[in-house]
Amino acid sequence: MTDTVMEARDVCKKYEKLEAVKNVSMQIRKGDIKLIFGPSGSGKSTFLRCMAMLTIPDSGEIYLGDQCLTKPATDLNKARARIGFVFQHIYLFRHLTALGNVELSLKHVLKLPKEEARNRALAALKEVNVSDCVNKYPSQMSGGQQQRVGIARAIARNPDIILLDEPTSALDPELTGEVIDTLRDLAKEGTTMLIVSHEMPFAREVAEEMIFYDQGTIVETGTPAHFFNHPNSERAQKFMTRIIKRTMRE
Amino acid sequence: MDVWQTLIYLLEGLPLTFSISIIAFISGIAIGLPLAFIRVYEKDVSFVVDAYEKVFRGVPELVLMLLFCFGLGYYFAVPFANPFFTAAFVLGLRSGANQSQIFRGAIRGIGDEQLIAAQSGGFSKWQAIWHVMVPQVLTYSTPGLGSEYALLIKDSAYAWVIGVLEIMKRAELLSVQTSNLVIPFSITLLIYVAITFPIAQWLDRWGNKKRKKMGL
Amino acid sequence: MFDQFGFIGQFYPQILQGFTLTLEITAFGVTFGLLLGTLLAVGDIYGNKVARSIIGVYVELFRGSPLFVQLFLAVYGIPAIIHIPINHYLLAFLIFGLNSAAYQKGYMKGAIEAVYGDQMDAGLSTGMSKTQTLLHVILPQAYRIVIPSWTNEFCSLTKSSSALAWVGIFDLTAAGVEITGIYYVVLPVWIVIGVIYLIWISAMAKVFDYLYEKWKIPGIELNMQ
Repeated sequence: MTDTVMEARDVCKKYEKLEAVKNVSMQIRKGDIKLIFGPSGSGKSTFLRCMAMLTIPDSGEIYLGDQCLTKPATDLNKARARIGFVFQHIYLFRHLTALGNVELSLKHVLKLPKEEARNRALAALKEVNVSDCVNKYPSQMSGGQQQRVGIARAIARNPDIILLDEPTSALDPELTGEVIDTLRDLAKEGTTMLIVSHEMPFAREVAEEMIFYDQGTIVETGTPAHFFNHPNSERAQKFMTRIIKRTMRE
Repeated sequence: MDVWQTLIYLLEGLPLTFSISIIAFISGIAIGLPLAFIRVYEKDVSFVVDAYEKVFRGVPELVLMLLFCFGLGYYFAVPFANPFFTAAFVLGLRSGANQSQIFRGAIRGIGDEQLIAAQSGGFSKWQAIWHVMVPQVLTYSTPGLGSEYALLIKDSAYAWVIGVLEIMKRAELLSVQTSNLVIPFSITLLIYVAITFPIAQWLDRWGNKKRKKMGL
Repeated sequence: MFDQFGFIGQFYPQILQGFTLTLEITAFGVTFGLLLGTLLAVGDIYGNKVARSIIGVYVELFRGSPLFVQLFLAVYGIPAIIHIPINHYLLAFLIFGLNSAAYQKGYMKGAIEAVYGDQMDAGLSTGMSKTQTLLHVILPQAYRIVIPSWTNEFCSLTKSSSALAWVGIFDLTAAGVEITGIYYVVLPVWIVIGVIYLIWISAMAKVFDYLYEKWKIPGIELNMQ
């Protein structure tokens, strides 16, 4: 098969009052760095969670490589082990140190022996530049440090793809920089990433493809240059104008 | 004695059960409310409240009833030799200690701003407490008070030991008379569950409403 | 009256014996209650409707009625029903455990739910199963949150244990009943017994406070958001 890492086909997810995902299809190949952006409440996060099967879609298919995740008998845990997920609100394991957070899945999912798990965890933490927080608990770290540990936790298993749900949105503005730097480094190394974010400077610099998502569907896709200069759809135009104005103010 | 008669005989203990628990509950509010406010707002005297709470957290209600009714009751027949009085008295004091804690939590939850706002409007500290804080504290404390009341109903059963003819005493009498313990006590158990169940249900619903309001 | 206190001194052996029993049964009750309570809480969260109904009825019966009534039914009733004499102590210990479990299920469920939402998501996202996440992420946090309620449960259970004297078990209160019954020294006896309970419970409360501080992890508290 081609080097498609993940694929969504006609995925639908509806909540009581909101159609969060309306027949959305998307293909991500190895090394792709795609960024989903759009107005809040449009269902972007829901779609991302569907990709990781953290939220089960109502219909449609999700593929991880050749494996169809939406088939009933699938071992979702094994599948999720190959996906790294970074949450908007971080969600570190509060009762463990940074090291413990990263080690946990190495020990229990990959079943690595203690020494090896520890070393790999330390390496992942080094990669995201939080080696000085190794023995700290989440409540003792800043938001930016916590999120970087969250990224380390996601990459430690060497997943096929990393999904990031607004990784900087819940952080204080001064702290977003360190997280963005980390993501930029990951991008340089060729990590396959699907990011939901409205960090426009980061998008312009790192994303290969930007996907405008509004009211449950993909409205438009294109390169960053395309969106920053000449979006096609009116909705995208309106959104870009607003967001560029805001970014320039900051 | 058939089941029906047993049930009726047991249910005739309800008025005493309710009297004891209601008197204790109201005494508990009368004691707990001032104690809670003193504990929060008058720091120098707060150790008295702490000591009071410690005693009632640390001594079994049953032992206290025996102490007052048969111990002190010997010297002060009025009022302690009266088992009903002693039962309500002991449980009232105990409830005061529990409610003091409940109200304290509510006071902390509501915060100082209310008091400060009232005082800036011309109220004295204790006027502000009475007119502004007390109503809010009572509302905020409803779940805690609900479980405290259920607890009082269950603890009223201790009174049978000192001779109050409430539900459990009746069950004990029946079991001796009829040489059958299971039937009267099973029915007694179900009676208590039936009385406390509506309180538990109501508390659950109250808790869910509050959780929905907080968006959880 | 003060010489009466001295008189009580000679009953030290009975008092000690009773106190030891009280100690044992409360320790057993709270521990058993914690283990069973955790199982019930997990069963309530994950179980199917049948399981949840059974747990619901069990909790309602034990929480909705006085421990006193439960003790009588268990200690005198069960042997009567099955026509086999069973050791009173065994039944009493069992009822204490079951009673405590009914209350602790509520505390554990509350603690688990306080951490559940985001921590379960996080655990699943790393490839762990629901069970693994429950064991390695959620319960470790829930146990730390639940310690204050545990203290309360211990105090409550110790106080309720005074009922044991009336089902033929020689606990601390039974020692008091025996002494007052034979020797007509009433008030001082109950004061002494009361003070013993008071010191014991206050000391244990301090122990639990210490444990709470010792095992606490910065960032995990009862009122977490």
